Amino acid sequence: MKILNIITKEFLLASRSGYEIFMPIVYFLIIIIFFNISTSYVEKVIMLELLPLMIWISCLLICILNLETIFKEDYDDGTLEMFLIKDDEIELSILIKILSHWLLSNLPIVIVAPLIAMVLGLDTTTTLTLFVTLLIGTPTMSLIGSIAAALTISLRKNKILVSIIVLPLYIPILIFGTSAVNNSFFKMNYSVELTLMLFLFFIFLLITPLACSKALKISLD
Amino acid sequence: MDNHLIEIDNISLLRNEKSILENISFQIKKSKALNLYGLNGSGKTSLLKIIVGMTEPTSGFIKNVSGDEDLFKKTIYIGHKYGTKGNLTVEENLSYALTVNSKNSQQKIKKALETYKMTRQKSMLTKNLSHGQKKKVSLMKTLITNSLLWVIDEPYSALDEESINIFNDTTKEYLKKGGALIMTSHKKIKEPFFTTENYKVYS
Repeated sequence: MKILNIITKEFLLASRSGYEIFMPIVYFLIIIIFFNISTSYVEKVIMLELLPLMIWISCLLICILNLETIFKEDYDDGTLEMFLIKDDEIELSILIKILSHWLLSNLPIVIVAPLIAMVLGLDTTTTLTLFVTLLIGTPTMSLIGSIAAALTISLRKNKILVSIIVLPLYIPILIFGTSAVNNSFFKMNYSVELTLMLFLFFIFLLITPLACSKALKISLD
Repeated sequence: MDNHLIEIDNISLLRNEKSILENISFQIKKSKALNLYGLNGSGKTSLLKIIVGMTEPTSGFIKNVSGDEDLFKKTIYIGHKYGTKGNLTVEENLSYALTVNSKNSQQKIKKALETYKMTRQKSMLTKNLSHGQKKKVSLMKTLITNSLLWVIDEPYSALDEESINIFNDTTKEYLKKGGALIMTSHKKIKEPFFTTENYKVYS
């Protein structure tokens, strides 16, 4: 009930925020169009080899784009104060908020990116690997980013600081993600990369709610 | 002691080596309103934040002597910010403030809207309301939640005369039922709106 309550509220708010909800998709399409234009003179095989890697980098940058908004609006309008005082399951609520953010900002990209990759000629196996790695990688990035967003919430302009904090932490996910799709492209084994990505996901799934709850309380102090 | 909810015992707060609060002690009692008054920057809001557990005091204790372990979970805090979502309507804001939705809660929302004379604005987005109306929406939350303690930072700010009277009447009713209120203001409350104790906060 509580999970549904928070998710419906976040979806309702997103639906009333205007065009912002479509921005991640728009940015993604722009990057892919530019990539296609800039690689139009190289051989198609090379372009296809680079495409999943380019998609991964685009997704990573788009993930950073609106990270600071996860808790910012709640902080600015005072709902965060009420929620931190009254809620007896703060960690669960934080997790649901991160899930809502991922569903709204990242899931559309996770769905659209492999479809575009297929349209551009990527083989089915690599496309499927790309989809799976994004499905594991993007929520991990949202979890990591939430900690940075919570730590910097009281700062007026925290966007740059959030990016500086999260970028080094995103590097392992980027390495494992791109390595998995690359191995898949060359018909090599990529189970190690997927296992490591899953390991990172579960680690941050455990750490993030606790870290965010502490960081938000410190910020409100 | 039977009617005591919370005991504030020798609370002190230091910020950047500056003393904000020093050795503050008082009790919050059932059916009583406590007004913390003082000058700007005297530490009233910091004291409220300590009471609701948002800020850790440098020394001293907050003791829950009510016998109800969940007292702090049954406390509603309304701070300087209104705690309302601009892109939600008045009715939606109230509905999401409730942790459990039932037929009864819809009745409560309807009654709260009527009490604060906001029925006409129930479908308006909160961002389109005036400051006073936003304040009323946040105060309405006290009427729809079953809280044992209301902690309100400057409840009268931004309110017109009529809304102040509504707040006073609803508070009176709430205190009669055994609730307690702790609030801040810049001055002592002299009028007998409800049983009020005044505690001056010095910085």
